Amino acid sequence: MSRSDPVAGNGPPEIERQSIEADIVCVGFGPAIAGFLSTLNRAWMENPVDPLFESKVAPGLPLQVLCYERADDIAAGVSGVVTAARGIRASFPDLNPADIAMTVPVKSERILYLLDPIGASRRPFSLRMADRVLRALNGTLGVRNDAYELPWAPRFLHKSGGLIMSVGQFNQWVGAQIMASGFVQIWPGMPVSQPLFAENADRTGDQVVGVRLTDQGVNRDGEPESGFVAGMDVSASLTVVGDGPFGPVGQAIDRRMGMPPGHDKREWALGMKFVIELPAETTLEAGTVWHTFGYPEPEIFGFLYVHPERLASVGIFVPSWLGDPARTVYRYLQHYIQHPALWRHLKGGTLRSWGAKSLDESGKHGEPLLVGDGYARIGEGSGSTNMLAGSGVDEAWTTGVQLADSVMELLHNKRSFTQENLAATYEARRRASWVESNARDAMNSRNGFHLGFVPGLIGMAIAGLTGGTISLAVNIPQTHKQIEKKRVNRARELKTRAAAMLAVEDGRPLHEAMMSARGWPEIEFDGSLLVSQQDALLMGGKVQAMPGFADHVIFRDAGLCIQCEDKTCIAMCSGQALTLGSDSLPLFEREKCIHCGGCIWNCTRTTAEGLTNIEFRAGAGGLHSAEN
Amino acid sequence: MPESILVLTHAGEASHSLSKASLETVTAGKELSARLNAPMTIGIISANYADTARSLAGVNTRVLGVAGEPFVEARYATDAAACEALCRAANPTIILAPQSSRMARVAAALAHRLSGCIDTHVTSVRGEDSPEISRWFYRQRIEGVITRSMRPWILLLEAGTYSAYSCQEGEIAVEQIAVALPAIRTSVSGTRAPAQDAQTIRPDAKMLFVAGAGWTKKQPDGLVHASEAGDLILAFLRQSGASLGSSKSLVDQGGDGQPVLPFLTHLNQVGQTGSTPRHPKGLATCCHGEEPHVVGWRFIGDRRAISLDPNCGWARGKADVVYVADAFKVMSKVNELLRSKA
Amino acid sequence: MYLHIVVCAGVVPDPLQTLEPVNGPNGPALKNEMMLPAVLDPWAASALYEAANLVACNSGSKLWLVSLSPKAKLQQVMMTIAQKVSFELVAIDSPAGGFVDAQATAEALADAIETIPGLDRSKLLLFGGWESASRGAGATLQTIGERLGVLDQFMGVDQIEMREDGSFEVLERVEGGQHQVSICAGAPAVLGWATGNLPEPRNNPQIGMANMRNVMPALQKAKPAVIGDNGLHYLSASLPSQQRQTRVAKDMSLDAIAQELVEWIGAE
Repeated sequence: MSRSDPVAGNGPPEIERQSIEADIVCVGFGPAIAGFLSTLNRAWMENPVDPLFESKVAPGLPLQVLCYERADDIAAGVSGVVTAARGIRASFPDLNPADIAMTVPVKSERILYLLDPIGASRRPFSLRMADRVLRALNGTLGVRNDAYELPWAPRFLHKSGGLIMSVGQFNQWVGAQIMASGFVQIWPGMPVSQPLFAENADRTGDQVVGVRLTDQGVNRDGEPESGFVAGMDVSASLTVVGDGPFGPVGQAIDRRMGMPPGHDKREWALGMKFVIELPAETTLEAGTVWHTFGYPEPEIFGFLYVHPERLASVGIFVPSWLGDPARTVYRYLQHYIQHPALWRHLKGGTLRSWGAKSLDESGKHGEPLLVGDGYARIGEGSGSTNMLAGSGVDEAWTTGVQLADSVMELLHNKRSFTQENLAATYEARRRASWVESNARDAMNSRNGFHLGFVPGLIGMAIAGLTGGTISLAVNIPQTHKQIEKKRVNRARELKTRAAAMLAVEDGRPLHEAMMSARGWPEIEFDGSLLVSQQDALLMGGKVQAMPGFADHVIFRDAGLCIQCEDKTCIAMCSGQALTLGSDSLPLFEREKCIHCGGCIWNCTRTTAEGLTNIEFRAGAGGLHSAEN
Repeated sequence: MPESILVLTHAGEASHSLSKASLETVTAGKELSARLNAPMTIGIISANYADTARSLAGVNTRVLGVAGEPFVEARYATDAAACEALCRAANPTIILAPQSSRMARVAAALAHRLSGCIDTHVTSVRGEDSPEISRWFYRQRIEGVITRSMRPWILLLEAGTYSAYSCQEGEIAVEQIAVALPAIRTSVSGTRAPAQDAQTIRPDAKMLFVAGAGWTKKQPDGLVHASEAGDLILAFLRQSGASLGSSKSLVDQGGDGQPVLPFLTHLNQVGQTGSTPRHPKGLATCCHGEEPHVVGWRFIGDRRAISLDPNCGWARGKADVVYVADAFKVMSKVNELLRSKA
Repeated sequence: MYLHIVVCAGVVPDPLQTLEPVNGPNGPALKNEMMLPAVLDPWAASALYEAANLVACNSGSKLWLVSLSPKAKLQQVMMTIAQKVSFELVAIDSPAGGFVDAQATAEALADAIETIPGLDRSKLLLFGGWESASRGAGATLQTIGERLGVLDQFMGVDQIEMREDGSFEVLERVEGGQHQVSICAGAPAVLGWATGNLPEPRNNPQIGMANMRNVMPALQKAKPAVIGDNGLHYLSASLPSQQRQTRVAKDMSLDAIAQELVEWIGAE
């Protein structure tokens, strides 16, 4: 039994909690933890009698390694990705893509600049001029289907030799292998609510001594009900944090330990995608990769990856620097797939599933402290994503491998998991690797977008071509300030708003109405590819919410919500889990939440303590789809 | 190989006549017998087959019966022994029986004892030389058509696929078959109706009324109106005689302290792990019409839905009509109209 | 008064997924079945939770979970189920599914149960789902019971109440939404469960850790089984499409809607 420690801020003191002991506890199961556990597991299988694998907490048994994942299934990961797979192939030299569902080697890559066939997107003057030129020189330049294919793709964007994968299927494949040996235990459906802190041995600061699992059998406010089970405490000498860019354990550690000077997670994007079964007569081949930009808004990057069996992942990234408080994603995605260059291939297809996820686009700007006493950070939440190439899975995997190698080194030398030791091993390995050098090159590559779309593109190109040597140094505004309207034509915008308010009267959300008022045509639902957002939540699976868990999206100060006109959180909620209540407060419905994390970086208000008004805690449930 | 058919029947709730499902199976047997040119026998399990056999007057086949106190109630050990005795007496290659709880309890055991094979929930029996049967797989999502080479082959027929045999004039002679009974370790003490006052499941109703999770969600005024919802639904059931079904989400709400409609239990659930009832009409209210629920509607004829969402699953080809309206308001008016008509 | 409860449970695709048949040389199968998320059959899961409850209330009792499924799928399902209730796993590795013959499946399961070391057949309660979410036949458990010589079987069970002397009262679903009440002298007996009354147990890390000690070795030891077709032949397996021409009535007044509905309800 352990009592909660109020001094260390670990929760209300009255609740008695069970506790279990592990040697290593892992938070989250994604590519990073998969890399970590896979490496550890393989080493154990090769030499199970090596004394480094002896458990300290269960003498006579091997290391007790436990991994807790929030989602109901480790295959519920959301992403079709294209990856150079450098780190992954290093771990699996004999990797046969045919062994992993939805995986195929990259065959061809194109970069398309998409023009606007409708005229509703808000393009800067320079871009509109460029479009005119492109259209005029149509024949010469080969502008087809309102798209201009870049005749040459910069090397930093190439993934040739790489793989198209579904992260969910990849996780499933790796997870099955890891589990089979019995050395490591992976437990889905078990969210971790917070790290456990204690004073470190030298009394100079805090150490992480394990984690606390979420309370179950509580009402939506977290109060115990019938069937209450207090979340257990799992103590471990090493906590491996791989819970993604907005995981609660990572967040809590950042708050407690602070961020490195000048570092902050200010840049985000919401990636939302469809998995579409292409029509039978499709000419698109498995292994096809398209990257697009320019439509539906210039800032929105898009992608199309073709998996085997006529499945395609098609999606967009709506970035935090798209300065529009009414920004929304689902409808933009529907307009995206109807762009002539894409629609000619997608029309007649069937929607198989849908998903969304927030991506940490801060890169090194947002890198937290990688190690501390008793813990280490890996994966996207540790800032490993390469923002220039838009590559994250392979980097995350590699940081997991690096940590595993370091952990085994420390165990072998009988050294403990102190900040110093972890820094000398894991952090050192990471800093010396290609993950770090790529991240450094990429560090300022996207800064230009805070000045505007065209400066952003130029800045990215220059950074890419010079390997990061030349890049734009820009003060990156706080996330909630990036939403602020950049008015080109104030009067026009005001008229649009008025038109939108009229539309709101017939029951549509404001952001929906504003898009229509701006000239975006209504979506004509066809029931198989163009469906309502609620229908998409049900396709290919369903959003699940086991009863007995508290709401995990919290509005800290209701007063701030009442004053807020923008309600961008509602506009950006991927699952429409946030809606407007009658009292001007947002309503959260856990049953629709897919845990994309979009709400936390789309809140335009901050509390007196400088925190964003939306808190995203540990929660169970979410998307439940196999084709992802 | 020449086939021969045995139709197993038993008494219904009114124990003096064969159950409706049994009589439907008799019709099925007669049709199959004609098509395959196979002789047909009927077997009756009941307390007193003299009574129940009257339902078969005019059937013009050999009729066997087991009778006695042990067969008053449905019980595995005695019913299995009875069926086995009837089968050994008739020695059929094909055995038809209704998909009733009584027969479902023992049919597979019977197949094992006779070294035969079995298929249940059969929705149609076709085929010219030998039976080709249809049944649903994966909770009414996939329809399979099957043949088997092994005999005897037991088929449990879904209710409602054949018309019930209606008896004619005439006497009916029943041969009594002796049954060697095992030790009886189970006794049936009766039936229990659901705890709630309202008996909401009515398999013979002309209409199914399905309540979805929208009834207990927050309404436009920001409040939940669970008791009003309950009143409206119960009033409608009373006036219309409809049977009550529910989506899984609404039934599940009872588990974790959310507002709940007290008269709903898991027995009302349609689709997913629930039932697939048969009714000529169905009205879905406050439910989205997603596939896993709608598969439970496989045997519902005319379908209409009331939903505030014009793009819900019902509107996408799963219903004949979708009324985009507030179900509270509509059902209130419907109840009013039904009341004034009565 | 201890019990030895054996729960037979298959693995089925998560009921929320889209399922499509494909016709192969060995008969029909589900498209991409290995990719679909899998769960323990929902009715069999109810049986498992009821069994665990009985074991908790009757000291000295034991619980075995016997499953015939593809090993990889069973391993996936264990990640969830093994966190909920304690059991000893007996795994048979076989590509089971809704299209496989029920009796052939039952024979393989009965073979495995007969060889469970330490199983006291006089105290045996054989539990499972009354039907499965895949085949939905309601034949497998019954056949196992017959193979094991158990003559007290109950189907569509929602409740069991054990008594001091080992006898028990059982509620089985019958027609009309009612339950038949039976009293059985005691084990051995077969109970094919419907939903029962117990809620799904919460995930419990301690249970998970303890279960893993036996679950992983059991999976590693799982013997492959080849299930014959028992003379079963599929002529077809298809997804019937039910696409109606829906009339979406958006602008009708409440009165008009109510009137139309009442007319429709009354019409023959």
